[in-house]
Amino acid sequence: MAEVEKSKLENQKNLGNEEVTPSTLKTIYREIIHDKWAMVSLFVALFIILFSIIGSFFINQDKLLTVDIFNSWLKPGQAGHILGTDNSGYDILGFLIVGARNSILMGVSLAILIESIGIFVGFISAYYGGIVDLIIMRIVDFFMIIPQTMAVITIVSIWKNYTPVNLVLLMAAMSWMSTTRLMRSLALSQRDRDYVLASKTSGTGNFKIIFREILPNISTFIITDFTLTLASMIGFEVTLSYLGFGLPDKVPSIGTLIGYAGDTNYMLTYPWGWLPALITLVILTVSINFFGQALRRAADARQRTA
Amino acid sequence: MSIIEVKNLKVWYPIRGGFFNTIKGYVKAVDDVNLSIEPGETYGLIGESGSGKSTIGKTIVGIERPTSGSIIYKGEDVTKGRNRKKLKYNRDVQMIFQDSLSSLNPRKRINDIIAEPIRNFEKLSKTEENHRVKELLDIVGMPKGSMYKYPFEFSGGQRQRIGIARAVSTHPKLIVADEPVSALDLSVQAQVLNYMQDIQKEFNISFLLISHDLGVVRHMCKNLSIMTRGRFVEVGTREDIYDRPQHIYTKRLLAAIPDINPRNRQEDTKERLRVEAEYENDEKAWYDKNHRVLDLKPVSGSNTHYAAVPESNSMVEQGGK
Repeated sequence: MAEVEKSKLENQKNLGNEEVTPSTLKTIYREIIHDKWAMVSLFVALFIILFSIIGSFFINQDKLLTVDIFNSWLKPGQAGHILGTDNSGYDILGFLIVGARNSILMGVSLAILIESIGIFVGFISAYYGGIVDLIIMRIVDFFMIIPQTMAVITIVSIWKNYTPVNLVLLMAAMSWMSTTRLMRSLALSQRDRDYVLASKTSGTGNFKIIFREILPNISTFIITDFTLTLASMIGFEVTLSYLGFGLPDKVPSIGTLIGYAGDTNYMLTYPWGWLPALITLVILTVSINFFGQALRRAADARQRTA
Repeated sequence: MSIIEVKNLKVWYPIRGGFFNTIKGYVKAVDDVNLSIEPGETYGLIGESGSGKSTIGKTIVGIERPTSGSIIYKGEDVTKGRNRKKLKYNRDVQMIFQDSLSSLNPRKRINDIIAEPIRNFEKLSKTEENHRVKELLDIVGMPKGSMYKYPFEFSGGQRQRIGIARAVSTHPKLIVADEPVSALDLSVQAQVLNYMQDIQKEFNISFLLISHDLGVVRHMCKNLSIMTRGRFVEVGTREDIYDRPQHIYTKRLLAAIPDINPRNRQEDTKERLRVEAEYENDEKAWYDKNHRVLDLKPVSGSNTHYAAVPESNSMVEQGGK
């Protein structure tokens, strides 16, 4: 009997949801299905991410990073190296897979960190307003005028023996500002809605109002911003590695491979050293961006195409 | 013994400007207002847009901070957050909002919306809470199935009833209803107002009914105040104000009520024009130099009726009509 009652309720629930306005997930799904490019991008991005993460389990990193100068700059296909070898005789394909995994993991952890800081600081700033807002926003302004790449390079070159975790924290410290500003503006648009006032008169605490009432209402924007931050953070990490200030020497990154293009001699003579990495990077960031754009359209009803 | 007393309430908003962003002046949204509400009564607060009536309501429930003055509830000044917390003030004083859609969180189910005050102020088990929510939905005439729906799935009248259910969920003593029906069409207005009256009878709740609709207030309230420019111009019982208006602003407001009988149309128009002309001629006498409404004075021959009349005015003796 109770079972019947329950399934009836479930039914009602589902009916109610489908009849009127589709849920967020459904809108996102529809937007992506409608936009062929977004769908292709999603699959390509997922393929690259999964391939590099799963593939890296099958690669013996110690063996990969053994210097073998007799086999340096082998052409693709020679001696079992599908994409050839580099300066130190490292297998380019293996290096690329592990490097892509590292770059992606760096990007993901940076994006998570930046979004968390942005949501927390931005929401506090917008919700409390007044002097709190003023102080936080001046701190944001201060960080914004620091040229982020130069600052990271300077600190990294002073800091000996830093770990990838240190680097993530350092990079996050230099790039949390724009997300914070976005979150602040989103929270400001919600702060004075009547439902927030109603929660206040219902005796709900400030933190609960911020994270349980306001946050779900802008979750779509957060997902969207996450993907776009992810793409730009992968780019940032690659830039640093390319310049030689990124991940520590023994940790491969896509940027290390692209770095071979920095030397004109290498760039022209050994294109297999840097080209595959560059192509992987471009495809990955472009497809994440395309997918992110579709998410953004799903989040904003006026931009929707489906 | 009144349930809540508002004493000399002032809510001023600073106007900042200039190079150093200094305070150049104030918007006096509420300027020295006194008001008290009896248990179980509906008190009407009438005024045009921007007269400060909503600000009074929001100050009473504690979401707007007063510049000065006090609000006394159970002998404590509840303009201080500490006292509000101590008394669990918002369990006893709740609010119904004008815009029913924006006052319900679009991401929450009706169940969670109505249960929010219960979860904060009372410790009930899940089944008890569920039971209470169903009971409340029943009181406002909504089917039980609506518990699991979202706010956008309902019409304006239904949403406003959900708002009422949330407001009464902790059995409050006073509900501030900020234009609860002005966004609804006429038939739905009557329905929502009737639900409010039923609830009032059932739980002995006081209402502070904020409205610009003279008909609604006449239907609902025994005592009422007319407000303009942040001040009360006239306070009294329904009969005092509707039958014997003293202030020219009140007269002008009452003259604006349309009459459904078309036979009197020409006379009504004439009367309206006369009131309007009187208002324009005498306006200066009824307000002070800064266009501020004068202080309230008792009207002779009544102990409930107060009006902001000038010191010497022959018109006061003539009385209303």
